[in-house]
Amino acid sequence: MRRNGLSSLLFIVVLTVVGLGLTLAAGNAPLLGLDLQGGVSVVYEPAEPVSDEALSQTIEIIRRRVDALGVAEPEIGRQGDAIVVQLPGVKDPDVALAVIGQTAELRFRPVLETVPILPDSTTTSTLEGETTTTVAGDTTTSSTTAAGSDTTETTDTTVPDEVTAESLGIELTAPEDDVADAEVILDSIEGERLRLGPTLLTGEALSTAEARLSGQTGGVWTVNMTMRGGADGIDAFNEAATACFDRTPTCPSGRLAITLDGEVQSAPTIQTPTFERDAIQISGSFTESEAKDLALVLKFGALPVELVPQQTQAVSATLGKDALDAGIISGIVGLLLVAIYMIAYYRLLGVVAMLSLALSGSLLWVVISYLGENRGLALTLAGVTGIIVSIGVAVDSNVVFYEHLKEDVSRGRTLRSSVDGSFASAFSTIVKADIASLIGAAVLWSLTVGPVRGFAFYLGLATLLDLVASYFFMRPLTVMLAKSPRFADRNRWFGLPAPPEAEPEAVPA
Amino acid sequence: MSIINKLASFENDIDFPKLWKRGAVVSVLLVVLSLGAIFGLTLNLGIDFEGGSAWEVPAPGVTVADARDVLRPLGEENAKIQIVGDDTLRVQAETVDDVQRNEITDALAELAGVERAEVSVSTVGPTWGEEISSKALRALIVFFVLISAYIWIRLEWKMAVGALVAVLHDLIICVGVYALFQFEVTPATVIAFLTILGYSLYDTIVVYDKVAENANRSGLAGKMTYTEMMSLSLNQVLMRSLNTTLTSIMPILAMLIVGSFILGAVTLQEFSVALLVGLISGAYSSIFVATPLVAWLKEREPEYRSIRARLEGTEARKARNDDDRNDGEGRTAKVGSGTAPTLSGRAIPARPRKQGKRR
Repeated sequence: MRRNGLSSLLFIVVLTVVGLGLTLAAGNAPLLGLDLQGGVSVVYEPAEPVSDEALSQTIEIIRRRVDALGVAEPEIGRQGDAIVVQLPGVKDPDVALAVIGQTAELRFRPVLETVPILPDSTTTSTLEGETTTTVAGDTTTSSTTAAGSDTTETTDTTVPDEVTAESLGIELTAPEDDVADAEVILDSIEGERLRLGPTLLTGEALSTAEARLSGQTGGVWTVNMTMRGGADGIDAFNEAATACFDRTPTCPSGRLAITLDGEVQSAPTIQTPTFERDAIQISGSFTESEAKDLALVLKFGALPVELVPQQTQAVSATLGKDALDAGIISGIVGLLLVAIYMIAYYRLLGVVAMLSLALSGSLLWVVISYLGENRGLALTLAGVTGIIVSIGVAVDSNVVFYEHLKEDVSRGRTLRSSVDGSFASAFSTIVKADIASLIGAAVLWSLTVGPVRGFAFYLGLATLLDLVASYFFMRPLTVMLAKSPRFADRNRWFGLPAPPEAEPEAVPA
Repeated sequence: MSIINKLASFENDIDFPKLWKRGAVVSVLLVVLSLGAIFGLTLNLGIDFEGGSAWEVPAPGVTVADARDVLRPLGEENAKIQIVGDDTLRVQAETVDDVQRNEITDALAELAGVERAEVSVSTVGPTWGEEISSKALRALIVFFVLISAYIWIRLEWKMAVGALVAVLHDLIICVGVYALFQFEVTPATVIAFLTILGYSLYDTIVVYDKVAENANRSGLAGKMTYTEMMSLSLNQVLMRSLNTTLTSIMPILAMLIVGSFILGAVTLQEFSVALLVGLISGAYSSIFVATPLVAWLKEREPEYRSIRARLEGTEARKARNDDDRNDGEGRTAKVGSGTAPTLSGRAIPARPRKQGKRR
């Protein structure tokens, strides 16, 4: 028993020290939430119920927009149906909101011309070969597609040498100027910069899209679009297609660009004047993932999820720091009070309780730092509160054990004879009570949103660590102290009643 | 010997069943008062539940009147204005549009003499609060069901009933305190309310576990009524309850006093008031609500009814013998009669020592 206790004590202390060492060595520190470091947080909800896939796609779109804002460590995640966007360090919520919250509208615009990219840009000249995306109208679904036409492509790309035209002052259209009926200049995801005419039709005209492996050409990925019927659907599309096919002034290049979020997703050359509603194919040198991405964009860009900001919060850096200081200082003061009380009341056992608390606190720090660094899990003020609250839970485990011990000793047993049995029954109580806490934390975590979740997570984590510290640290250390001959007759050191006289073996000869 | 010394040395012998009657009166009064406050005064819900905007800015020296003067031209003279902590100005208004919100932000920044970015703004849509509340409510129901099932499995269903009633009692009183004093209810408060459930259950489970332990003890079986055994168990865990409550209250008091009053962290304040009330109520209810309820339920079981009948018979017989003879074994303690404080931790024979222990 004694050796067993010693090894578990060693195990947990070494684990903690190694954990702390690694945390310090890796430079990990808890990631502070917005309410502690300042920044903007927005909670969005879809205006109407949407599928999981659409929501994930929406998150992707938001992530792209946020990246465009240049925020250092954005946090974009889902909580139930809600999308939570956290932008540390961003000061003005309005700018962020405007960029993130705009509805993603898919637009079809004619390509007026390809313009040079200014010299500072590094993505350059490899464009030409790539602009081979084509729209193949296959009225009979098969052979007319001539996917082999990839090679016989109408290479519209009379791309001027990119360095020549810096004096033209061709700049990208700013996101706020990217309105449907204006002429704009946008970059394509393939690296071109295009001047585009006013929107001819929007994603509303599109019914669905999917990536498909074209059979007869063997392993060529294409994207098939299906338009809606009627004037706003296929008719509008065909009108645009005809204009491009005939290279009228509206669409001199013969290409129809599909834009989303100020970015050209694809700009295929139109190869047929009219199309069947459900037989429109975009072919090109797509890889599988490119084709699938484009299909997703078309599909969900076509039916954009309308996001409603439910809660926006802008916390100034000063207030955030104040809150953090307040949390830390009150935590320290509370801890000190508890330490004084415990040591005054339980003496040596109080010291064990505080060591045990320090140990579980260190482990908590290690876990929080790890999660913050690797999972982007932020410590919020609600989480800090959860941890402060868990001090009470952790100390209680000690109190339950010590009171049990005192009770046994007061019944006339010696400290060393009662310590094992006392722990067994006290631990059973501790486990029962801790599991009740854990159930509570788990329910809160899984069924709620926002700050309640953060609180529940840290409360649950601290409760788990309390169980670990009680079993692997408090038990062996208390047992060793209780059984040590040095303290054999010194019950007062444990805050225990004096040993009854009727215990001769407790009295040294 | 003072009560503290008695407690510390396990010689406390409080006649809980006698106190339970008073406790019942207190509890009923508190619950009725709370329900009255909740339905009569209604809760003061924060913007997170009603929708609206809130601003916070450090503004030393600015008074509520100054802020109101600034807000009046913007049509927001009815906004709720507070100075929290030392010098943080806090303004809350009903739903405003983006333009108005920006105007108010600018005005407050100017008033406080700081950059616009120093003003914290939070805005909540009108439906979000409903959603938070309905989610919290759903979480609460699931929590109750799971906890009942857990206590039922680990202990017994009568204790599950007792624990639930105690938790509800605490919850009603806490919400009642918020209604009565018109403290603002925010998501942080909801978290605190939910934590209270945890505390209250924790205390109750510790008591119940002790009762279950005593009930299974060979030395006690059949020698005490269930109520007496509960009283004994309560005496045994009383010091633990006091110590735990004290050590839990200390960090929370620190949070309330240091965190919110001195440093002005509003969230901490919101948390700690609810936690403080809940903690005290939880410790109280584990002794005065959860336990008597189970005692009452258990005393109706045939087994404990017959024990009671038998023991009362013994008492009556003994009462006829005027000299109150002790049977020499110190076992027929007259608990519950309130005449002699013979029930103590020491009255219970020590459990047999386990063999093979190191000495």
